Amino acid sequence: MKNTTHMGLGRRVFAMLPVRLQPVHLTIFMIIVLGTVLALANSTFLSAYNINTILSFGAILMIVALGQMFVILIGGIDLSVGGVISFVSVLFVLLVGEVGYFAFPICLFAGVMFGLINGLILTIVKIPSFIATLGTGGIITSLAYLVSPRSISASPSDYGYFELIDGKILGMSNSFYIGVATFLTLGAFLRFSITGRNIYYIGSNIRMSWMSGTDIVRNRCIAFMISGGCAAIVGIIISSIRYGGDPVVGTPYVLNSIAAVVVGGTALTGGSGGIVNVLFGALFLSLLDNGLNVVGVDQYFQQALLGAMIVFGVAVTFDRSKTPIIK
Amino acid sequence: MTVQTTFGAQPVLKMIGIGKRFPGVSALRNIDFEVRPNEILGLLGENGAGKSVMTKIMIGIHQPDDGEIQLNGQATKLLGPVDAIKKGIGGVFQEGSLLPNLSVMENLFLCHERDFMQRGVISRRAMVQEARRLMATMKLDIDVTEPVSQFAPAAKQMIEIARVLWLAEQYGAQNPIVILDEPTTVLNDGERDTLFEILQELKQRMSIIFISHRLQEVLENCDRLHVLKDGDNVTQIPAAGMQVADIERLLVGSEFSGDRFRETDQHTPDGDVVFKVEDLGLRGAFEPLSFELRAGEIVSLVGLIGSGKEELCACIAGTKSHDTGTVWVDGVTPAKGSPQAAVRAGIGHVPVERREEGLALNMSVMDNMNHLVLDRLKTAGAIHRRKEIEHAHEWVAECLVKTPTIHAACSGLSGGNQQKIILSKWLSSNVKVLILDHPTRGIDIGAKDEVYRLIRKFSKAGIAMIIMCDTLEEDTGLANKMVVMSERKVVDVLDAAPEHKPTPTDLIKLIV
Amino acid sequence: MQALHSSLRWIRRSGVATQLISLALITTIFFIGTAGKSLTMSNIQVILSLTAIPAILAIGVHMTIVIGGIDLSLQGVVALCAVFTGTLMANKYTTYDVGLWIIPITIAVGGLAGLLTGLTHTKLRIPSFITTLGMSFVLYGVAVYINKSQIVSLQDDRIQNFIHAAPFGIANVVLIAVFVTTFVQFLQDRTPFGRHLYAIGGDEALAKQLGVNVDRVKTLAFTLAGCLYGIGALLLVTRMGSATSRAGLNLLFPTITAVVVGGVALTGGVGGAKNAFLGALILAVLNNGMVLMAVNPYAQTAVNGVVLIVAVALTIDRKKLGFIK
Repeated sequence: MKNTTHMGLGRRVFAMLPVRLQPVHLTIFMIIVLGTVLALANSTFLSAYNINTILSFGAILMIVALGQMFVILIGGIDLSVGGVISFVSVLFVLLVGEVGYFAFPICLFAGVMFGLINGLILTIVKIPSFIATLGTGGIITSLAYLVSPRSISASPSDYGYFELIDGKILGMSNSFYIGVATFLTLGAFLRFSITGRNIYYIGSNIRMSWMSGTDIVRNRCIAFMISGGCAAIVGIIISSIRYGGDPVVGTPYVLNSIAAVVVGGTALTGGSGGIVNVLFGALFLSLLDNGLNVVGVDQYFQQALLGAMIVFGVAVTFDRSKTPIIK
Repeated sequence: MTVQTTFGAQPVLKMIGIGKRFPGVSALRNIDFEVRPNEILGLLGENGAGKSVMTKIMIGIHQPDDGEIQLNGQATKLLGPVDAIKKGIGGVFQEGSLLPNLSVMENLFLCHERDFMQRGVISRRAMVQEARRLMATMKLDIDVTEPVSQFAPAAKQMIEIARVLWLAEQYGAQNPIVILDEPTTVLNDGERDTLFEILQELKQRMSIIFISHRLQEVLENCDRLHVLKDGDNVTQIPAAGMQVADIERLLVGSEFSGDRFRETDQHTPDGDVVFKVEDLGLRGAFEPLSFELRAGEIVSLVGLIGSGKEELCACIAGTKSHDTGTVWVDGVTPAKGSPQAAVRAGIGHVPVERREEGLALNMSVMDNMNHLVLDRLKTAGAIHRRKEIEHAHEWVAECLVKTPTIHAACSGLSGGNQQKIILSKWLSSNVKVLILDHPTRGIDIGAKDEVYRLIRKFSKAGIAMIIMCDTLEEDTGLANKMVVMSERKVVDVLDAAPEHKPTPTDLIKLIV
Repeated sequence: MQALHSSLRWIRRSGVATQLISLALITTIFFIGTAGKSLTMSNIQVILSLTAIPAILAIGVHMTIVIGGIDLSLQGVVALCAVFTGTLMANKYTTYDVGLWIIPITIAVGGLAGLLTGLTHTKLRIPSFITTLGMSFVLYGVAVYINKSQIVSLQDDRIQNFIHAAPFGIANVVLIAVFVTTFVQFLQDRTPFGRHLYAIGGDEALAKQLGVNVDRVKTLAFTLAGCLYGIGALLLVTRMGSATSRAGLNLLFPTITAVVVGGVALTGGVGGAKNAFLGALILAVLNNGMVLMAVNPYAQTAVNGVVLIVAVALTIDRKKLGFIK
């Protein structure tokens, strides 16, 4: 009984239900409802083209959100993913012309390094992640502008590199397969490695982890590096689809990635949730995006909806027993 | 003297048949307690005897499960600290309740700024004046506009007492009650004398509940004593004519009752020395000291709060960094100030704050138990699910953890079962020395016995242990050797073999 | 000697000593770097005008930081207020003309947005940074939805003229900012509400135990912050003479930087309106200096980011946080 008084209303409602329902079940239910409604209302919804659109956009969203999830699992947040995506998108276009295939590892490395810097600012300089990544996100965005102040198009002679990612296999976009591969890799990492397990321990109780000898600096840096790496992958994919880079292209992904994580039922308090939650969160958001586009809802209004969903999702999932004082 | 005048007077506060239970343990049973006008009442008891729960009920933080509270003969309920102070009861606690960034006067009059409003704004002059008047009654000469963080603990205490008095005065309480929780631990001798001088004066218009481990000062300054033990009343008696030795007997209670701590299972360690501290010291916490442990030996650290034993354990566990000396574990000297190095060297730590420091509460029993042995549960470089489950099942059985499944979250289990999970986490790892910080705090009798069984079993298996317990009996009962600390120094090392355990009275003499 | 001693004490207590020193330092650096151009009378006027609106916004944000929270909804609120101004003041697109009533209306719109944020934060018990992040997008979306990304020219230029006028040698907009700073600082120093802000920032759990109505004070702080964003938005829009939802873009980052540079620690409990004002002034000097020295504008943004992180690192009270998340 003592615990329930600390819970938010949402958690109490879930705790009272007879079956052990979790927020993610609500998300799955919403996916089914939304899918059914869209299929009935729109004859082209179930076309191969549209399904591919939903899944490949969902995959892109899921990749950023998976990275974001690692940071949220350790109890932090990464507001710099937008900056990293923007930076990588322009860097990739410029590099491909210069170094060819080496552009892929270099961009990935850049993303991971940005993540490492975020991690070190959190763990060594000891600044809360939301403000540290707000700062680094701003810096990285201005770096993107420094590299290229406006959007750039790739030269047609380099199209081969972009088609590598923009292409299709068996009717599905390659970005979908990249999403599947990222999902499986990170899922296996989280499930089978000690680092993966430590990320949960740290998120659940960082003081206990520290006292039990877990290297919290290393593990928290790894979480941020994964986030930076995932953002870099998305930057590359976006450049490849657009055959060009843009220093603002990443901005919406800060909100989108947090929304996908939160809507999937991962609590911002850290230590709970997982990749399946993010999968459903991203799928739901992709469906919603698709549906709203069909209905013709303004893109900014969609952002408003995302903002409201984040507030709602956090209200339901936030673990108040952990922090009696909410700042 | 005053003793006679207070006796027989109508009590200000009367608590009848108070009981309080927490999940898995009953903290207070059928307590009768009263505070009379114009007295200093000494509230005595060892750690865990129920003093802090009592005081929390008196200021409304806890609500009693049974019993009745009467103020001036009227039954009442205390709904919270603010409500309690309105009814004339306030407390000054060790952790302090002053806001460090606000000035002295702002702290004094927090939430009562309206009394100093002139033309719609706070008059700083009026505030300063009133604050100076209050400080004068406490014989404190300080700048009341300075932030509180500037002042020494002694001054802060006075400020807090002044606040309670002022508030009681504002609410028109006839004979306010102030609870002072271990006020003297942070004071030097001069400050201590001043405090008692002031308390004797304040007594003329209020009552004081005085909590202290220093029996001598309790006897010298209190009019009446109330002794608690294990959540029960022991007695209430006038202080006049009592000797320290009499009180010691009351605190410790009956002589040893048989085999409560499984003393018959105690074995005498004859293995190699596995753990040493040499000249280990931390300025301001404890003076350089040395001791060593054989494999399977249990050493108990005894001493009051402030004796330095807590910091000593923190330095050994790596959560604090010592200034001098070294820790040595079976050939390894772990880097200081690093729990990671300490754990690698084989030092384990079962913390007293088990929910905050010991468990990943939202994670499963299995995940918590397997925390330190994950690399043993791998197949081909990946954590193997079946091995995880097997390991958890093995230790649930070993430690008799009562849980619906090994996949249940730890947050739902009782304190005793949570403690067994923490123990199994450390015992299953390759720990060589285990620090047990109040291992039976807040758990029921059955679980306590289980903890004793595990301690005996694994000490026999060769794990050396450093324990700090809630009661001296428990310390004495469990230990092979006792290191007694007082005023930041080791004052004695006693042998505690089963056949000749030191008596608690001997120990108290050394500690105080 | 006595006077010197007491003035030194005043500076130490006021909590602006570091800010005054850094201000003097960067002023000197730019004075040398620009060969004196940075301290001409006209450039000082420019710096002060650059300070005014950011200072008002920074004072708004600082209200929420003093209590140990943060407000990331600034851009959304400013966009919404700007759009209301553009819709309700005389313009070419709509038929409304509320005249000077726009002043209380905009402030009220900002205040209501702040109230909604504050209530969501305190009643639903969601951390302020995520509440306000979400709320920012909600309000921004609503603003764009109303405004459809048009740039609305205002036909009523009374406020614009007043802002630009300088009857006392300093532009009125600067005087407004000084007035707001003084007013809020007074509120903080001399009213129970103001003192309770600091009590909550010092130790929220303790303040609550001692009887401070924490939820109400926090909600009020967010509401007041919203009102200040309203004032800022109104000044931004009328100074330009045109309103658009884009008025809110790229404001959050410099504003938080100004607050922190002014010495308001993110951990709460220290700093006041005067700190926020000084922070805005320091940033204005910095950015103006970089412009005079022809630094690449994107590099300037990067410099601001570095300044933010360094300032947070210097001011934050790590003892209060335990493990930083």
